[in-house]
Amino acid sequence: MSDNGTGPAGFLKEVVRRQYFWGVVAIVLLLLVNLTKDPSYLSIGWNDANGALVGNLVDILRAAAPIMMISIGMCLVIATSGIDLSVGSVMVIAGAVSMQFLAAAPNTFAGAMAALGLALLVSAVVGLVNGILVSVVGLQPFISTLIMMLAGRGIAKVITGGQNTSAVNDSFRWIANGYLFGLPVVFLLALAIVVLVGLLVRRSALGLMIEAIGMDPQAARLAGVNRRGLLLAVYSISGLLSGVAGVFATASVMTVDISRTGYQLEMDAILAVVIGGTSLAGGKFNLTGATVGALLIATLDKTVVFLGVSSSATPAFKAVVIVVLCLIQSDRVRQLLRSRRTTGSRPSRKEAVAA
Amino acid sequence: MANNRFLAKFMGLVAVGALALTACGGDPAGGEGTEEGQATSGDLTTVGFVAVGPEGAWRQANEANIQETFTEDAGFELKYAPAANLDQKSQIDAFTSFVDEGVDVILLSATEGSGWEDSLTRAQEAEIPVILIDRGIEPDNTDLYVTRIAPDNIEVSSAVANWAIEEFPEGANYFVLEGPAGVSVVNERNEGWDAVIGEAEGFNKLGAQTANWSTEEAKSVFETVLKSNNNDVQMVFAQNDEMGLGAVQAVEEAGLVPGEDVKIATIDGTKNALQALADGKLSFVAEYNPLFGETALDVVNKTLAGESVDSYIIVPSLTFDSPEAAEEALPDRKF
Repeated sequence: MSDNGTGPAGFLKEVVRRQYFWGVVAIVLLLLVNLTKDPSYLSIGWNDANGALVGNLVDILRAAAPIMMISIGMCLVIATSGIDLSVGSVMVIAGAVSMQFLAAAPNTFAGAMAALGLALLVSAVVGLVNGILVSVVGLQPFISTLIMMLAGRGIAKVITGGQNTSAVNDSFRWIANGYLFGLPVVFLLALAIVVLVGLLVRRSALGLMIEAIGMDPQAARLAGVNRRGLLLAVYSISGLLSGVAGVFATASVMTVDISRTGYQLEMDAILAVVIGGTSLAGGKFNLTGATVGALLIATLDKTVVFLGVSSSATPAFKAVVIVVLCLIQSDRVRQLLRSRRTTGSRPSRKEAVAA
Repeated sequence: MANNRFLAKFMGLVAVGALALTACGGDPAGGEGTEEGQATSGDLTTVGFVAVGPEGAWRQANEANIQETFTEDAGFELKYAPAANLDQKSQIDAFTSFVDEGVDVILLSATEGSGWEDSLTRAQEAEIPVILIDRGIEPDNTDLYVTRIAPDNIEVSSAVANWAIEEFPEGANYFVLEGPAGVSVVNERNEGWDAVIGEAEGFNKLGAQTANWSTEEAKSVFETVLKSNNNDVQMVFAQNDEMGLGAVQAVEEAGLVPGEDVKIATIDGTKNALQALADGKLSFVAEYNPLFGETALDVVNKTLAGESVDSYIIVPSLTFDSPEAAEEALPDRKF
């Protein structure tokens, strides 16, 4: 604490201590790598036809939107020392509901809103079922959401009759492909939702109570925290946000792919949360960190394609980046490095790291 | 006791079939399979079909077609046994039950290529001919089965490459959207394409990326590919229809015109792809024909009559290279 308020150096130290700082560093590094491949990588142009900014950065923001949604939901669930493995399956359910509805509905704004409402309602209900399984029935979060993860894709198949349904609706398509003030609508929406959720949990006691049940459910109960109600709410929110992500993903191509939409995205969500500095043990959470994590994963995905890493090496490339990042974040590894350096010129080295 | 197990499984299948019926408002294929299974008639030829089950539009068309061909009217009793969740063990169990039961012929679409030697040997000892439908086995020991009936991936992808050479006499910069790395279909489709395009002059491969058969991923991948090559891409080879349709959307987003600035060729020939071809968004669609029930019927009859058949029967597949051709084929498209 003594570092606090001692000018820019103190501020810098404070920032470096934040876990998601290394996520930001990783994003910058990846962008630099891309920049060396193509010096015009970061350039952003203006498309007069649809009044939009075009560039690789804009693509990254757009790709990050669905991951941001599921990461925020996952972050809250993990804070209660639970986990939600069903986010990817809820995405496909939301996509299936909206596409199946739109395939029969007229191409109007009202149709798009109805599809959106229906999809979000169904996703929230699925989330609620998760919540009931966890809080009322008392199943392990891992098991209940695993069931939902497996069942969800089946439900989506039943909804579309085993087909990859596509539909036409300009308003719905605009959600994922439109632009507002030159920025992709989908990213602005995602950002707005993150801010909204952030205000909701941090400006009220909600966040504290979520952390309380994650830290020690017994103590929380004795302190009068309504564990059951909170868990129901948190899992429903996670379901709802996954539904939003599902709408984002399917609206971008106006097709739901029952076997691929949201496939294995629960892993991306968990990674984003962990990169953002939220411990899987629960008890604390960091929404900004989860957002940074989501942006990092989107950047990583885009980098792999931009560099032309071969398909077979893609998972390995991603794994290496993430393992290195986790190692840097680990306190123990950092301590090890620091103790080795104490023999050298300590202060200057430390400054180098901070910079 | 194996019979009992099969019965239990079969009841499960009936239940699933009923569920599917109520859920999707009537799936003729599922209903038919269960009805025929229950009817036991002495003078019908019993055919056990060890199938893959729900996998996608192509598989659905393929298996429905088989079920519609081997009807009671044609003199067959078809026992349809789809795998549970693409699990090979459930297929081996179903296969064994068919052998124990003593069906006349077994049709097999293996979810996985390896591990079939023991089961096939058992069928051989019981003198039950086995015919492979679509999927082959590894190692490919032709003594163990009568024949494999399937469209040829290498031939289909060569057709795409030949079209590309004709369309771009001067050559072109092209990009390949692949399925998941390591899958045999992907390898074969690459092999056919590379063999033909490698001979041609002027073709420059910008790269290949997997989009996991998915429209959404293909769109995301290809928008980045366009940017990293400053839109200097003339052709895309998408290894299935869905990815091709994703590439179309990426091209449109980039302000280019699919079919003019970037020509996109796909494999499979589903309804959606033919519609896109008719609209001029795709430029070439090579069919991977799932409808070969008639061929299978012919082979079964020949085998039972003791005639010999080739060990590999290639199902002819069509290609569509113009909007007119697509429009003509659209009304009768089954998948």
